[in-house]
Formats: sequence, C-alpha cells, structure tokens
Amino acid sequence: MSGRTKRGRSTPPAAEPTRRAPSWLRALLPLFPRGHRRLYGEEIWEVAAHRWTRQGAGWRATLAMAWDLGSGAAVLRANQLRDEGMGMGRGWGMDLRFVLRSLWKSRGYVFTAVVVLACAVAANTTIYSYIQGTLLAEPSYPEPESVALVWGRNLEDGQRRDVISGPNTLDLRESLTTARVATFHYDGTYIELDGRPEVFTALDVSADVLDVLGIAPAQGRGFGETERRSGGAPSILVSHGFWRDHLEADPDVVGSALRLEGVPHTILGVMGEGADFLAPAPIVRVLHDDLLEAQDRGNIHYNVVARLRPGASWDQLNAELGRVAREIEAEYSGFEGWDFHAEPIQRITTEAVRSVLWFLGGAVTLVLLVAALNLATLFRVRTAVRREELAIRAALGAGRRGLLRVLLLEPVLLALVGGGIGLAVAPMLLAELAEIVPPWIPIPDSAAAVPVLYAELAPGVAITGLAVAVGASLLLSLPAVLQTVRAGRDTSRTELMSGGSGRVARGVGGVRWLIGAELAVTVVLCMSAGLFVRSLDEMLQTDLGLVPEGLLTVRFGDVWDQPFADQARYFEQVVQSVEAVPGVEEAGVIDYVDFRAEDDFARVYFLDRELQPVNSVREEWRRVDAGLFRTARMPIVQGRDFAPEDLEGPARTAIVNRSFAERHYPGGDAVGQLISTHDSGYVDMRIVGIVEDVWSLGPTTPPPAVLYVPQQGSPRGTVGLYARTSLPPMELAAAVREAIWAVDPTQPVMDIAPMTSLVDRWYAIPWAARSLVVTLAGIAWGLSVIGVFGVASYTVRSRRSELGIRAALGASRARLEGDQLRAIFPVVVIGIGVGIAGALAMGTAVRSLLYGVSPTDPWVLLASIAVTAAAAILAAWLPARRAGRVDPKEILG
Amino acid sequence: MPIDPSGPLNPRHYLILLLLAEEATFGVRLMERIEERSDGSVRFNAGSLYRTIAQLVEAGWIELRGEEAVSEGAGAPRKIYGVTAAGLAALRAEAARQADLLTSVRALGIDG
Repeated sequence: MSGRTKRGRSTPPAAEPTRRAPSWLRALLPLFPRGHRRLYGEEIWEVAAHRWTRQGAGWRATLAMAWDLGSGAAVLRANQLRDEGMGMGRGWGMDLRFVLRSLWKSRGYVFTAVVVLACAVAANTTIYSYIQGTLLAEPSYPEPESVALVWGRNLEDGQRRDVISGPNTLDLRESLTTARVATFHYDGTYIELDGRPEVFTALDVSADVLDVLGIAPAQGRGFGETERRSGGAPSILVSHGFWRDHLEADPDVVGSALRLEGVPHTILGVMGEGADFLAPAPIVRVLHDDLLEAQDRGNIHYNVVARLRPGASWDQLNAELGRVAREIEAEYSGFEGWDFHAEPIQRITTEAVRSVLWFLGGAVTLVLLVAALNLATLFRVRTAVRREELAIRAALGAGRRGLLRVLLLEPVLLALVGGGIGLAVAPMLLAELAEIVPPWIPIPDSAAAVPVLYAELAPGVAITGLAVAVGASLLLSLPAVLQTVRAGRDTSRTELMSGGSGRVARGVGGVRWLIGAELAVTVVLCMSAGLFVRSLDEMLQTDLGLVPEGLLTVRFGDVWDQPFADQARYFEQVVQSVEAVPGVEEAGVIDYVDFRAEDDFARVYFLDRELQPVNSVREEWRRVDAGLFRTARMPIVQGRDFAPEDLEGPARTAIVNRSFAERHYPGGDAVGQLISTHDSGYVDMRIVGIVEDVWSLGPTTPPPAVLYVPQQGSPRGTVGLYARTSLPPMELAAAVREAIWAVDPTQPVMDIAPMTSLVDRWYAIPWAARSLVVTLAGIAWGLSVIGVFGVASYTVRSRRSELGIRAALGASRARLEGDQLRAIFPVVVIGIGVGIAGALAMGTAVRSLLYGVSPTDPWVLLASIAVTAAAAILAAWLPARRAGRVDPKEILG
Repeated sequence: MPIDPSGPLNPRHYLILLLLAEEATFGVRLMERIEERSDGSVRFNAGSLYRTIAQLVEAGWIELRGEEAVSEGAGAPRKIYGVTAAGLAALRAEAARQADLLTSVRALGIDG
C-alpha cells in the first residue's frame, strides 16, 4: 500500500506529554519564609518535581504539586506568625482573622464574588490556553517562520492547494535557489504484532526532509546518502512514543529490525520526544529519489515542505516556483494550467480555526469585562454596607493603615479563592473542550488536515489568569477603599452617630451605570450565541446525499501486486463475507471513504465532443461496486444503478453525480453519453445513471462533481467498505473485522468507524464554536442577573426607612414597587441600546464564521434583547417586591 | 515548632532519624525510603519533609554532611544529610523507651 495510497491517513495518536515539572510552579517558592527558602528552596523543588513525575505528570499531578508547595509554605508562614506573636492582637494575623470573620458573616456576598471570579478565570484560562496551544504553539522544528508548504494549483479548475507528483517534487528540489525543499506524505502501514497486522500512521519522506526541517533523531541517525536511492536494505525511523510503547524503550534498538508490511526494516534511529512534523507518526519511511523520478507526472501524490534560504523572501520563492512550473509545462504534456505556490506553514495550519478562536478570545474577554464590572459593583456596595462596621473598628483604635489592610485583604482573599477555583476547574474544562473540538483541523481547499497537537493548561495563561483576578479585584476595590480610608475617623464617628444609615446609598449611585455596561455586553454575547445557533441549525439541515446513520465504514486490503481481476474478486468475497455477519443488511465497496477528506482526480474525455484532448477536464472519481449506492442510501435521480453484470469484464458503464451532470451536460442529457478517462482501464464508458451529490467536504463546501466507475477496471489495492445495519454500527466492528480476515487473515483492516463520526468531524468546529459561545453568553447573562439583583437589593435595603415612611403615609404597594423598577429602568434601556449597536457591529465582524444566516438577523437580535431585558427586569423586580412589603411599624417603631 | 528533646519522639522524626542513621542521603531518596519502609503508610510532601528536616537540623540531631554533584543541567547539587551524635543519642533514648514499653506489655502477657 505504501507507494500508491493517496493521502490515506490514520487518525494521529495523541501528542506525547512532556516530562519536566512545570517551571511556572517555581513562582510558589517565594511563598516560603525567606530563611527556609534560602536553605531548602532548591531541595523542596526537587522533591516536589520528583513527586510530580511519579504522579503521572498530568494536570492532576500539577495541581497536587501546587497544593504541596502552597500548603507547605502556608503551614510554615502560620507557624512563623504564631511564633512571632502576631496573633496576640496586632498586625496581619489579627486583620486576617477579622476579615475572615467578617466574610463568614456575609456568606452570600462571598459566594457571589467567588463564583464571579471563578467563572471569569476558568473561562479565560480555558479559552486562552487553547489559543496558546493551537494558534501560538511552537512547532518542534527551529525557525518555523521560514518554513512553507508548496502546493500544486490548477488554474483551470480553481483547486487552490493540491499535492504534487513525484518527478515534479524532484524538479523543484533541483531548480529552486531560494529555498530547500523536501517531499513528504502521510500514509498508513501495518506491523505484525501478536500475529495480527496492526495499523500505524507512517510518514513517508525524502531522505533530506529532516535536514530541511532541522530535526535530528534522538538516537541513531536520520536518512542519508545511502537511503537516497533504492536497492539498500529497507530502513525506518521510529517515533519516541512508538519506541516507548511498542519497543519497551530498548536503548539498543538502533540497528534491530521491524517487520513492516511483511518486510524486515532496519531501525536507523529514534526521534526525540515531541519531535513531530505536522502530525505524530510512529513510523518514518524513506521515499527513494529514483522511485519518485520513475512515477507518472500526472500522478499527483505528495506534499512538499520548503525552508527559505537566508536572505530570500516569499515573493522570490513564489516567483521562482512560477518559473519552474512554466518550464515543466513547456517540457512535458499534461501539466497545462498548473502552477506551484508556497504558503508559510504557520498560516496554513491554523487557517480553519484562526478566526473562530480569535472571536472566542474576544468573547471570553467580554465575559471577563462583565465579571470585572460585576466585581466593581459588588465591592462598591460591600464597602458602603460596611461603613458602620469599619467605623466601629476605627473607633476602637484602628489607624488608616489598619483600615487599608482590612479593606485590601478582603478582595485579595476573594481573588485567590475564586481564581484558585477557576484554575482548578480550567483543566477539566480543557479536557471537556478536547472532547468537542476536532482532533484535527482541515486545511481549507485541500484534502489535508493537521492535528491539534497541544491543548493543556498553559502555565503563562494560568499565572496571568490568577494575576488578573487579584489585580482586578484590588484595582476595582481601590476607589471605594481609598474613599473610606481618606474619610478617616471623623467620618467614622459621624457614621456611628447616624446609625450607619442614610449616607450609604450615596456610595452606590454610579454603580447602576456599571450594570448598564454589563447589560450592553450581555446583549452582544447573546446575539453572537443566537447567530452561531442559527448558523449550525442551517448546516444541520443540509441533506448530505447519503444516510450516515447505521453505516459502518472500514478500510482494508493490501493487494496492489495482484492482477486487477483478482483484486476485484477479493473485494467482492469480502463484501459477501461481511454481508453474512448477523446484523449487516448489505455492504458495498468504494475506493475512498466519503468524509475522510481524501480526493482522487481523473482526466475525463467527452467522446461526444470534438477537439480532444483540449476538451478534457479534471474531475474527482471513485471506483465502486454494485452495492455501494444502495448501502449508502445514495438516491439514483435519473437512469439506473450499477447492475452485477456491470462489475464483470471491462468497465463499460459509469454513473455521474448531479453536480457532474449539471456541469458537463447542462441540457440534462447526461445519461447515454460516452466518456473515457486517462486510465486505460476506464475507456468508452456509457453513462447509465445520475446519483445524488454527497457533501463529502462538509455542509459548507459545495459537493464536488464525481464520476463513479465499476471497480474492476483498475482497482486500488486498498479500499473502503460500507456496511448497513439497524444496530449501533460499532457493535458490529469486531465481527466485520473477523469477516474480512475470514477471507484472508494476512490483510490489514484499519480505520473502522461509524459514518456518523466521520460526518461529525465536519460539524465539529461550528459545533464547538456554538457550544462555547452559548456557554460564554450564558455566563455573561448570569453575571448580569447577579449584578442587577445585587444593586436592586442593596438599593431597597438602604432605603428601608424612606420606604417605611412612604408606606405609613399611604403609598400603595404597587407604587413602591413601581418606583423601584422605574429607578433601574433607564439603566436597562440605555444598556440594551448600547448593546444593540455593539451586537450589530459584532455581527458584521463575524460574517465569515456564519452559514446561512444574516449577521444582522432581526429575530436573533430581538431574541437577544428580550432575553437580556427579561433577565434584568426579573432581577430588579424580585428585590422591588420587598420594597412594597416593608412594614412601617417595624421601621417607625 | 521546635522539638521537645525530653518527650517521646514524634514517629515521623523517629523514622527520619532511623533512616538517616542507616545511610546518610538526600531529600528525594529519603522520601522514597520513607515510603518503602512504611509500606506507603507514611507520606511526606515536599513542604512537610523539609519542615521536618529543618526541625531536626535545628535540634542538632541531623546535619549537612556534604553535597553530591548531579549531571550537568539537572539542577543544583544534592545536599546529603546524616545523623549527629546527639541524634543517635535521641534515637537510642527512644529505642530504650520503646523497649521499656514492650517489657511492660510482655509482663501483661499480651505480646504477640
């Protein structure tokens, strides 16, 4: 299968974790008392790091290590405080106890502040860790900014990123002066383990690829001059993970042999930990130059990686690529309309998710803003409420510094607890996120994809999250704190004499406008959530052209070296064997499984037209058997399906899909026409039917035009099989595998998956984006409710006397309630008004992320306004009801 | 909290003194040996291990014996701790106390 499989790619295994204790935890060492740290700091670190490794080196171990260091330091500090007599009535120790007691009495406030902080820190740490791990991740090779992928580009059919034929990759290598290039290709291979062939991802590379990338194996050597040409002993490199998991981390493995596809290969070297190129590949094989040279120039197959030479620019490289393309075009036929172009690798690999992730980054920052506004509100109200309590403390002799300590300790404690909970939750959210985001990111306009290599809690982000929590809490509490402290003891005395009432309301006047700002941001986020929900709904309504539910898919076989007739016979025997499995209703064969991001092109000739070959086109094609369309439930819209006799003898019939028919036979007369392809196994075929399009590149990419031909003309030695069942498909996986092995136990069986999981990959990014935006909007909405409720409650509480007097003078309950609601009403109206403007601006900014929905969709906008306004009014109304129930006797008595 | 040299030895202090009396060693190794010797029932984290070491050093029962170089780039040299004469005396006193206890228990005829 090695030479001819076109972009067959197994799902890459997870990235190997690093085994060094996270150095950011060193930031906890300064928490230890200085003397102890000086004497034992390095040793404490060594022991903690040792335990981290023994506990599995994951995020749980990291949390345990943080707890280990933090609690160790806390105990020593507490001992120090006790020994120095700080608990005897002076200084931080007493202040701390005072603050803790005070917080205990206000558990509702503490709970609210901690939840607000935890939500903001958890959401921000999660999203920004993910951004750090994907958009900003450092590749394993040096100077990634000068590395590019070189694509073929067919100007005739608009294909932007295509692979390149073997001989053309060699021409590029020899002709280019501005860059060094190397050839690579991801494939599958199998190694016999425990008597059964086990399938692994293999990276096939030209001998110079490691030099071009600047990666060296950790053990042994890479491919060299000896491996450049065929004829030597077959050799491979293995990844660190493969060496560890399958070769028992044998230090003497270099030079030993491994049986790949039945042939012994010498292990030349072991790659370093994490030294992957695009996707982790357990096995690295060499592509010999002479075998690349011998391939057909029309057989496009390989990816090309380029590293700019010092001093060269991208423009120079692209100009040179254009020149090489024209030289190839002049020298060889069949390259008309083709071009090459290079794109920096870092731009390509994140293209599909960059906009979504930055949008999510913006959205989560808005959540942080809402949380900050909420905290500011809480602190202002809290400080106003505590004036009486602080006045007592001042009257008992606390100086300005003492008051300052007490007032600042509280937000710091809350931030540490809330931020700490947020950080503890973030790794779990990241694990959840890893479940909903795709394990690989498709490269747009190509059949390639790159995996998400890293999505763990980023230390820098975690520290920033905690620092922002503490910093924001301090900053936001500062105005209220300074106001209180500046007022000093005189004010405190007045406060005491006035009973602490009346003046406090003044402290929260401006707070209402903070609420207005929260509501504005909430409208923006609700609008985003609504747009993403509508967009995904539109996608889900797309008819994919087949019925993925109840369809099991599998790839199998390595029979390239057998005569075509034998290959076709083997595939049909497998179909019969699989159809005999209890639960399988029918089965069919297709060379490339749909929705796997694989493509294969044929040059098609229309025999009813003149001026061949100018009149030929490049279109996708698939080799199938007579049961495929029935099994996949792909409806025949005109003509007929393949019959069993079409699958015998030379291939003389073809079926085209709807897009093919509409593109090439706009008059609706496709059925009955004669066509040929470049492949001698498929000439003079009559079109006997038109089948419905399959949206094999997902719901947002129009389906390609496809020509379906009977498989026996020139089969591929590795094919896909669909099995239809009314049971959950994976329940049949083992039985289907055994049924394939029942025909020939030496053949590899790989990539068993339900079709629904392959289809879901195409919805994964919008699905994940929708889930995240809805979650963030929900958090912002919840925080706004808390904010409005808090301010409204406080206003009612601080006006109890006034309300009591008004009630005694005959004000009705409805009047009192209405007055309270009216007070908050302007804030709601203005906040939501500003929010509408922001939502419309945001909608335009995310236009490119939406599908089938207008960024200014009026229904979504109305729903966002309604949801936000309803929440605000409800949150204001509940405390307002209390206003109407104030008992005048209680107040005046 | 400083150690009270007159009272019975804290079991954790006792275990560390005993292990260091067997072999002077560094922190990571000491932690491993504690877990081995106690079948995992006694576990120190980094903070508590060095808090205990600091108390024993302060009491004059253990001391820094020297440093052991580690491979290049693997961090600072490892400090080797060993038991002092005073530490051995404390260990001996604790052993005698436990022997007395054992004798008393045996006198009641309830030893295993």
